[in-house]
Amino acid sequence: MDSAQLTAFTQTLAQGLLTGGLYALIGTGLSLIFGVMKVINFAHGDFLAIGMFITLALFRAFHLDPYLSLLVAAPVGFALGYAIQRFVLARLGDRLSEASMLATLGLGLIISNTLLLTFGAQPQNINVPYAIQTVQLGGVQLSIPLIVAGLGTLASIGGLNYLLYRTELGRAIRATAQNPLGAELQGVKTTNIQAIVFGLGVAFAAIAGVLLMPLLYAFPTVGENYTTKAFIVTVLGGLGNLPGAVVGGLVLGGIESLGAFYISNNYRDAYGLVAFLLVLLLKPEGLFGKTVKRV
Amino acid sequence: MTLPSLTPLTSEPVHAPSGPPLLEASGITVRFGGVTAVKNISLAVRPGEILGLIGPNGAGKTTLFNALTGFVRASEGRVTFDGRDITHAQPQVRAKMGMARTFQVERPFEDLSVLENVLVAAFLKHRGRAAENHAYDVLERVGLADRAAQPASQLNLARRRRLELAKALALEPRVLFLDESIAGLNPPGQQEMVALIRTLAQSGLGIVMVEHIMHVIMSLSDHVICMAFGELLAEGDPHDVAAHPDVIRAYLGDDHD
Amino acid sequence: MTASVTPARPRALTFGNVWISLALIAVMAVYPLLFGKSMNFGVSTLIFAGLAMSWNLLGGWAGQTSLGHAALLGIGAYTMTILATPERVPAFLGGPLAPWWGALIGMALAALLALVWGSLTFRLRGSYFTLSTIAVALVIRLVAINSDWTGGSEGLFMPELPRFLGLDLFDRQAEYWLAFAFVILTLIITHAVRRSRLGYALQAVREDEDGARALGIDPTRMKVIAFVISAVLTALGGSLYAIYLQAFEPHTLLELPISVQIALMAIIGGRGSIQGPAIGAILLAVFGEVFRTVFANANLLIYGVLILAVTLYAPDGITGLFTRGGRKLGTAR
Repeated sequence: MDSAQLTAFTQTLAQGLLTGGLYALIGTGLSLIFGVMKVINFAHGDFLAIGMFITLALFRAFHLDPYLSLLVAAPVGFALGYAIQRFVLARLGDRLSEASMLATLGLGLIISNTLLLTFGAQPQNINVPYAIQTVQLGGVQLSIPLIVAGLGTLASIGGLNYLLYRTELGRAIRATAQNPLGAELQGVKTTNIQAIVFGLGVAFAAIAGVLLMPLLYAFPTVGENYTTKAFIVTVLGGLGNLPGAVVGGLVLGGIESLGAFYISNNYRDAYGLVAFLLVLLLKPEGLFGKTVKRV
Repeated sequence: MTLPSLTPLTSEPVHAPSGPPLLEASGITVRFGGVTAVKNISLAVRPGEILGLIGPNGAGKTTLFNALTGFVRASEGRVTFDGRDITHAQPQVRAKMGMARTFQVERPFEDLSVLENVLVAAFLKHRGRAAENHAYDVLERVGLADRAAQPASQLNLARRRRLELAKALALEPRVLFLDESIAGLNPPGQQEMVALIRTLAQSGLGIVMVEHIMHVIMSLSDHVICMAFGELLAEGDPHDVAAHPDVIRAYLGDDHD
Repeated sequence: MTASVTPARPRALTFGNVWISLALIAVMAVYPLLFGKSMNFGVSTLIFAGLAMSWNLLGGWAGQTSLGHAALLGIGAYTMTILATPERVPAFLGGPLAPWWGALIGMALAALLALVWGSLTFRLRGSYFTLSTIAVALVIRLVAINSDWTGGSEGLFMPELPRFLGLDLFDRQAEYWLAFAFVILTLIITHAVRRSRLGYALQAVREDEDGARALGIDPTRMKVIAFVISAVLTALGGSLYAIYLQAFEPHTLLELPISVQIALMAIIGGRGSIQGPAIGAILLAVFGEVFRTVFANANLLIYGVLILAVTLYAPDGITGLFTRGGRKLGTAR
C-alpha cells in the first residue's frame, strides 16, 4: 500500500467511523428501549425525522443555527417518547412484545405521513456556511458537521453512561431492566421509569436527526432508512447491549464506508444488511455474545 | 420402619411385560453448565411394562424424562428405541417413532377445542375424517367425549390431565411417558387414572411414569427406579425399593407428599 | 363406560365459515356491473386482497410477521416481465415466454427463496424473523436497482403479451376477472388449510412449540411450508400486479411500505379469521379512495391510525370484533 492509498484508506475509514458514531447514537436509543422494555421500536427513524424537521423549521422561521435546535429537539423528543410510552404502549400490557411492534410501526406511519402533509414530499436542506467546510486532521480531511456529529455522539453517550451508572435514576432504570417486578417491590415506579426510558431513546433519535440535518436532505420518509440502520446496529451489538450498540454503530459506519469505496458505492446500504443477516443467522446474540454487560 | 405415605398394596400388577426391551437408555448424564442434573442412569422398558421413576423433589426425574423424549440433550449416554439409536433425535422424530409424553404442567392449546387438541395429535397417523374419528375414539377412552366441543382453556385440572393423556394416546405410541399424571387429582380421579394406566399397559404399551405418590407407583409399577440428586439410589422390584434404607432416608429427609 | 348409544359427534374438521367467503365472492362478482367505470380501483383492490390473504398464511396461521413480502411480489412481477420481453429474456430460452409460464417460473423462484430463507431463519424465535424479512427484502431491492437485467432504477415496461384464454391482458375487464380468480384461489387455499393437518399443526406451533413437538410436529418444517405457500401465491399476485401496472420501478414495487401495507391490511382486517385479510384490504382501499383528496399521497396515515387502534382495542382485527366468542383461527399473542 503506497502513501496515497493509505491516505485514501484512512480518509474513508475516518469518515465511516464518524458516520458510525451517529449510527451508534441512533442504535443506543433503540437498544436502551429494547433493553428495558423488550420493545423493538419501529418508529425509531421517524423520531429522527422529527429531529431533522424541527431543525429545518426553526432554521426557516428564525434562522436558528441548526445545533441550537438541540435545545428544542431533545426535550421535545423526550416529551414525545415519554407520552407515547405512558399513554399508548403501556396500555398494551402483557401483549407488549408482539403488539408493540405493530403499534410503533403505526406510530411511525402517522409521524412520516403527518410530516408529509405538513412539509411536502420534496427533500429540503438548510444552508449554513460551515456545512461544506472541512478541516485537516493528520492528513485526513473531514467535514465540520461530521466532526460536530462525532462530538455530539460522544457527549450524548457519555451523558447516558453517567446517568445510568452514577445516578439514582440510573439505578432505577437498571433495576427495571433486570426485573420489573422486583424493582416495583423496591419502590421503583416502573411505569414512570419505562416512560423515561422511551423518552430518552426518542430524544437520542431526535438529537441524531439534528446532528444529521446540516449533512443531509430532510424528507418525510427519511426515517425508514434510519430505522433499518438502528436495527442493524443493535443486532450487530446484541439487542439491549449498550456498549455493543456503540461498537455496532462504528462497525456499520466502517463497513459501509469501506465497502462503498472499495467495492461499489451503489451497494452502500447492502453491506450493513448482509452483515446484519450473517449475525442474525450465525450469532443472534450479537457480535459480543452474552457475556457483555447489558443495560 | 415404614414409609409414612406407603399404604398396603391393594393389588398386584397383573399385566405381563413381554419380549425384548423397546426403549433402552444407558449411562444417561445431563449437565447444565456446571450442574449435573442426571448422572449415569440406565433403564429399559419392555412392551406392557410399567417403569416407575421416583425420588424427592429435584432428583432429576423430569430432566431424565426430557432427555429420554428429546427435549433436553443428554451430555453422555445412549438411547435406543426399537433397536435404533435415537440419542440425537428431535422430540418430533421420537414422537413419530412411537414415543409419546405428557407434561408435568399440562399444556393444552388454549385456542383450540378439546377435540381439536386431540386432532392435532391424531393427524400423526391419520388423515382427514379418519383422524377426527380417531380423536373421538381416544376422547371416549379417556372419558372426555362429552367435552369435545368445549374450549380446552375451560377444562378443570382433572380433565386437563385426561386431555393431556388423550393427546399422547392419539399418537398411538408404543411407549408412553407420564410426568406426574396423578398427583394433584382427588382420590376418585386418582383411581380412574390408575385404572386407565393399567389398561393401557395390558394392551401392550410400555409406560414410564414419574410420580410423587408412593402407593400409586408401588401398586402400578413392575420395576421402580429411585433417584436422588440426579443419581441412582435403588432400583428393582417395587417392594424391595420401598424397603431400601437409602430410599427411606431420602424420602424422610425430604418434604414428602 | 357403557357407550351403547354413540353420542352425536360435533365436527371440528370443517372448512370454516364458507358463507362469508361466498358473500365476499358475490360482492366481487357484482362490482363490475355497478362500478364499471372504476375498474382500476377494482383490479388493484382485488390484487391486494389476494396478497393480504397470501400474507396471512404465514403471518396469521404460522404467526410469523413478515415485513418483506414486497420482495416476493417483486420476484413475481420481475420474472414474468423479464421473461416476456424479447430484449431481456435469457438467450437459452430461445425467445420470450408467455406470461403464464413466466408467472409459474416466478412462483417457483419465490418458493425456492422462501424455502431457503425460512429454513435459515425459523430456527430463530420472536422478532428476529421479522427483522430478517426487512433485511432480505432490502437487499433484493438494492440488487434490482443496481442491475442491468432488472432495468435498474428505471424499472421495466410490459411488452406486448399474447392473449390468455382468449383474454386481452391489457383490458381492465379481463384483468379484473383474473384478479377475481386470484382472490378465490387464495380463499380456497385458506379454507383447505383450515381443514388440514397443516392448519392444525400451525395453530399448535403458534401456541406452544414444545407442546407441538411432543405431538410429532416439526415447527420449522410447518412454518417453512406455510412460508412457501404464501410466497408462491404472493409471486402470482406480483405477476398480475405487473400486468396491471404495465410499467414499474423498484422504488415503487420493492419498497418497505409495500410490505408494510400488505401486512397491515391483513392484520387490520383480522389475521384471526379466514376472510379477514381480504376484508381488511378492501376496507383500506375504500378508505384510501374516500380520503384521497384529503390526504393525497399521505394515505398510509390511515394505515397508521388503524393499526394503532387495532393493536390497542381490537387485537383480533376488524373482523374479530364481530366473531368474538365464535370459533376463530386464533391470534398470535
